[in-house]
Amino acid sequence: MNQSTAFRRKIIYLVILVATLVPLYLLGQPSDGTADSGGQLATMRQDFGIAESDLGEISPASETMKLASLGLRGVAATLLWEKAHKYRVMHEWDRLKASLNNIALLQPHYDKVWEHQAHNLAYNVSVEFDDYRQRYEMVREGTEFLTRGVRQNRQAPRLIWYTGWFYGQKIGMSDEKRQFRRLFADDTVLHESLADQGIAVDSNEALGPFQKPDNWLVGRLWLNHGYDVVDAGVKIRRQTPINFFETGPKWSIKHAEAIESEGVLDQRAISAWTKASENWDRFGKRSIPTLANFTIKLGSLDELRLQREGVIEKFRELGGQVYEDMRQEKVEALPIDYRNVYEKAPEERTQAGKDAMPNIMLMIEPDLEQLAQRLPAEKQLSAAQLLEEIEDLNARIQKTDGYRKQINYVYWESLAMAEQEERTVNARKLIYDAEKANREAEVDLAIKLYLDAFEIWAKIFDDYPVLTIDDSAEDLFESIRRYMIIIDSEELDDDFPLAAFAKMMMEDIGGGNAENYKRFRDHQAELAEQRRKELEEEERRLEAEAAKARQEEAATPQSDASPSEDPVDDGDKAEAEKPMKEEAKAEEPAATEEAKADEAPAAEEPKADESPAEEEPKSEEPATTEEPAAADA
Amino acid sequence: MNLQPDDFWTFSEWLLRPGAFLESALLQGIVLIILAIVIGLLVAYVISSARYGPGEGFYAVARAVRDFLTIDLPGTSPSRIAALARLAFKEAIRRRVLFIVGLFVVILLLAGWFLNPESDNPARLYISFVLTATNYLVLALALFISAFSLPQDIENRTIYTIVTKPVRATEIVLGRMLGFVAVGTVMLVPMGLASYIFVDRGLDHTHYEVVEADETDGRITGKTDRVRRHSHTFTIEPGETQGLTNFVRGHRHVVTRSEDGSFTIGPPTGQLRARVPSYGEIQFYDRNGEPKDAGIDVGAERLAGGYGSAGISRLIGVAKGNRKLEHSYVEGGTLGMAEFTFTDVTKKRFPSGVPYEMSIRAYRSFKGDIESGIRGSLTFKNPDTGFSLPPKQFTVEEYQIDERELPLEFEWLNEETGEVETRNIFDHVVTEDGRMQVLLKCLDSSQYLGVTKSGLYLRPSESSFGWNLTKAYGSIWLQMTMIIAFGVMFSTFLSGPVAMVATAVCVLLGFSAESIYDTRHFIDSNIERGGGPIESLVRLLKQDAMTTQLDVEGVANQLIKSADAAIVYSMDAIATALPNLPRMVSTAEYAASGVDIFNAILARHSVATFGYCLLAFMISYFFLKSREIAA
Repeated sequence: MNQSTAFRRKIIYLVILVATLVPLYLLGQPSDGTADSGGQLATMRQDFGIAESDLGEISPASETMKLASLGLRGVAATLLWEKAHKYRVMHEWDRLKASLNNIALLQPHYDKVWEHQAHNLAYNVSVEFDDYRQRYEMVREGTEFLTRGVRQNRQAPRLIWYTGWFYGQKIGMSDEKRQFRRLFADDTVLHESLADQGIAVDSNEALGPFQKPDNWLVGRLWLNHGYDVVDAGVKIRRQTPINFFETGPKWSIKHAEAIESEGVLDQRAISAWTKASENWDRFGKRSIPTLANFTIKLGSLDELRLQREGVIEKFRELGGQVYEDMRQEKVEALPIDYRNVYEKAPEERTQAGKDAMPNIMLMIEPDLEQLAQRLPAEKQLSAAQLLEEIEDLNARIQKTDGYRKQINYVYWESLAMAEQEERTVNARKLIYDAEKANREAEVDLAIKLYLDAFEIWAKIFDDYPVLTIDDSAEDLFESIRRYMIIIDSEELDDDFPLAAFAKMMMEDIGGGNAENYKRFRDHQAELAEQRRKELEEEERRLEAEAAKARQEEAATPQSDASPSEDPVDDGDKAEAEKPMKEEAKAEEPAATEEAKADEAPAAEEPKADESPAEEEPKSEEPATTEEPAAADA
Repeated sequence: MNLQPDDFWTFSEWLLRPGAFLESALLQGIVLIILAIVIGLLVAYVISSARYGPGEGFYAVARAVRDFLTIDLPGTSPSRIAALARLAFKEAIRRRVLFIVGLFVVILLLAGWFLNPESDNPARLYISFVLTATNYLVLALALFISAFSLPQDIENRTIYTIVTKPVRATEIVLGRMLGFVAVGTVMLVPMGLASYIFVDRGLDHTHYEVVEADETDGRITGKTDRVRRHSHTFTIEPGETQGLTNFVRGHRHVVTRSEDGSFTIGPPTGQLRARVPSYGEIQFYDRNGEPKDAGIDVGAERLAGGYGSAGISRLIGVAKGNRKLEHSYVEGGTLGMAEFTFTDVTKKRFPSGVPYEMSIRAYRSFKGDIESGIRGSLTFKNPDTGFSLPPKQFTVEEYQIDERELPLEFEWLNEETGEVETRNIFDHVVTEDGRMQVLLKCLDSSQYLGVTKSGLYLRPSESSFGWNLTKAYGSIWLQMTMIIAFGVMFSTFLSGPVAMVATAVCVLLGFSAESIYDTRHFIDSNIERGGGPIESLVRLLKQDAMTTQLDVEGVANQLIKSADAAIVYSMDAIATALPNLPRMVSTAEYAASGVDIFNAILARHSVATFGYCLLAFMISYFFLKSREIAA
């Protein structure tokens, strides 16, 4: 009996074993490589894209480590993190790096780990060294750590973005940026490893003015790589798309700024700015996903407004008499002063009246929904459709406008525009030379150079008032102070070219009067518009001349072969350029409006929690009060 | 390597702690032994009186003590111990413990994946890896072999074949201990050899070619190719065929130029070292030149812990707070300085010059000139006459050892005769009894130089790396012996697995002694840092931060706090009684940092090990005896 119980028990165990094998088989069967093959787990891995091969490089060392921790991976990782912190406090850098290495082996697909520890090395550890070369080494270590993360995580565009951010921000904006940038440009070993990563460090896209890789441009290449990944369908996680996409074009602006501050003030600077401007425009044409169910293009605000105007016009036509009636009702309901102004002929209106007119026009515009309700039944359907269209456009406009404000789109746009003008570069060059002369105690020369530069700057500020509120304006003001020291005067003459600017800066530094900016900007906004027209005029003139020259050339018989090809080519180009120009023109009024409405370059950095907080330049945010958004209608 | 105050103690200082006897190891040992005897007698009396009645119980205990002292101890025969040890040895070998050596080799084979030969100081990583790997493996092994043997014998009743022979309990216990120690030793030797080979091979690399070479005035300067992410520069002086490269990642190569102008680059040298340092006493002076205990604290983050060997005095609350040497800083451009006083500077120890080494940190209070490092100066001074050499300037090289040498002779302008004379430092800078001072100052004003006692030292000689590694293995051997003794002790009265757990708990408590000390310190000084075990659990469940006040009201709070205090205080007492294993493990750090393991430290560890083994032996004897009686 005893034996039979034992036997029965064994049979029961066997049955249970076999029974559990079935779900185990269904769950765990490995995939044979084709789609939808394998057990439940294999298919789920495939669906979520979390198979090792999907995520990135498979590392045997990592697998061994995970296996060796016997399922206690979390515990092991926690211990290692703690150890890493301890080593950091004890300044045991080598061991810190060794533990980071092990952490990365244990958690290779946890992208926050790569980010955090790379930041740790490049930002926190590097500053512990006194020697800037050792600091650079640490920054490089941090960045390379991140690069390893990129290699092991294909689905993490933010890691790629962060790498680009390191190459730009850490190397290009630290206290040691001059040294770092120099070391980076000469770091051939790093260049080679970057080339292995598929970053074309020897292409024109990456080379700075001295034909050496520039950190900002290399950073931009990384970011572009990230954009390619996203364009190929990978989702952006843990970051807003706008922040993700704005950094690349901004890096080319930063590059231009950096080379100028290092004394490259010639054609190379101009072309860097031109490129930056182009990149910014291209950014304006990129579709950016939003939280709403549509994407937006930052550069198409004006287009959207035009579209809306068109739809509203259609609606008015649809409304016909009903519209007119409603409008008349509104007119009658106007307060008496307004009504008087409205009913006067345009040329008879006083200045105050003219100023009030846009407001009055708004007041008498009938409410479209009410209008739709009053329409006859057969028109109701099309009215509702049009209304919906208007609402949709409104939402898009609002979103676009909001996003533009968030990253200070117009500021960067006009900065890049202003800086690519030859006179701006000249002005900078003059200041640069003046500072040099000042340092070398050549007072007369310095005064002359300063004055020349200030003349030009005054003109630039007249045209691009938005430039009075950025970083370089502060530098300029410093130059004015130095100028005041060498002319030995506490006061500036009234005919001093930058008198208004200097006054504003002094007031601002004294009390931080934000209103000044606004006033200053409003006052001169029209001038900026004029400058644009001037430039266009100039361009048109140049174009006309060029065209003329071409015609003449074409007219003169050529002895060379292939006469047929060239003109065709040229024609194509001219054709291609034309619409581009028109587009650019279309954007400009919007930009002007924004220049008025937009606030100071506050949105320069990404959100605080996302950006490495340390060493961020204490931003040049002037505390401008938020201006109400420009009236949409 | 940043040494702590007790690392500098000589053996006698450690044993007696002149001036602070409460901290001495001797006192701790005596207290432990007395406690063991008193508690042992009490427990024995309670047990035997329960068994035989109060009167007879007393006699039983007295008899046992008498037997131990008069019969068993004097009658213990070395040959019988040897026989029993051989038995234990054979038994352990039969249990295939030698597989551990194989496992170690496998670990070494895989280690290359996880060790980065491209790190800044690969030697350090490699050496500390092999030593820690050996350490933990051997400790685990000691735990297993020692805890299971006796209980198994008792369970299988094979022990009767021994106890029926004329064998004493002392011999059984000693035989086991020695047998297992022999097994451990047999395994440590191949592991040590494998480690040496692993480190040596792992760090070996060859630079194949010279990528740049310029010759000016017969002097050749050049650069090697890049291997393992580093390259060297070298110079060959005019007329020479060999030259040295610079130090990169702790090593250099010999470059030989052959007749046809090609270069050969030798193997790496100088990465496996064992410096014998000679430390001085350090005294800080503040900006006004007033002597101070410590320099300026620049606010670097610190870790808790670091109670060192405060011994009994910490347990009874006489010594409070941690003792840790942190970098202390001297301000530049002021009278602030760090003064090192070295003793025993003799011609015999320094026949051809006084090599000295620095590892100093820099701290900037403002950005200053980024491209030039912070400068300091060293002044060698005679403490008696006040005579000093002109200050030697240097630029700080952080996180590496800056090796320099003070030549024995210096030139001196005799103001009376107006002639420049060559003089010897032993006549002027060093006092007759061999003392010399070195003053460290920072030259850049408002910048700081940081140093600890171990940051500047003389290096009279150099030991060999192989010998240093052997010493490190010696330290591991001591730990192993201690664990075996504990394991055997527990196995005399507990069943195998329980004995193993008990030993493991002792090891863990020993390892985490300093965190227990910390916890007690926080409780004593009312610092909110998570509290004891119960409070921590409550905080975990409530998801409260460590540094907030415990969010429990009234009686419950009182209850938690007092229960915690009781637990932590008893853990503290136990941890203080246990060997301080982390200290012993940290000898690996010396070997890894290329510093000769101080003989005093090894001697201390040996004595402590011997003490604990003795204690374990006595306890084992009595337990085994009591079981014999019962059987």
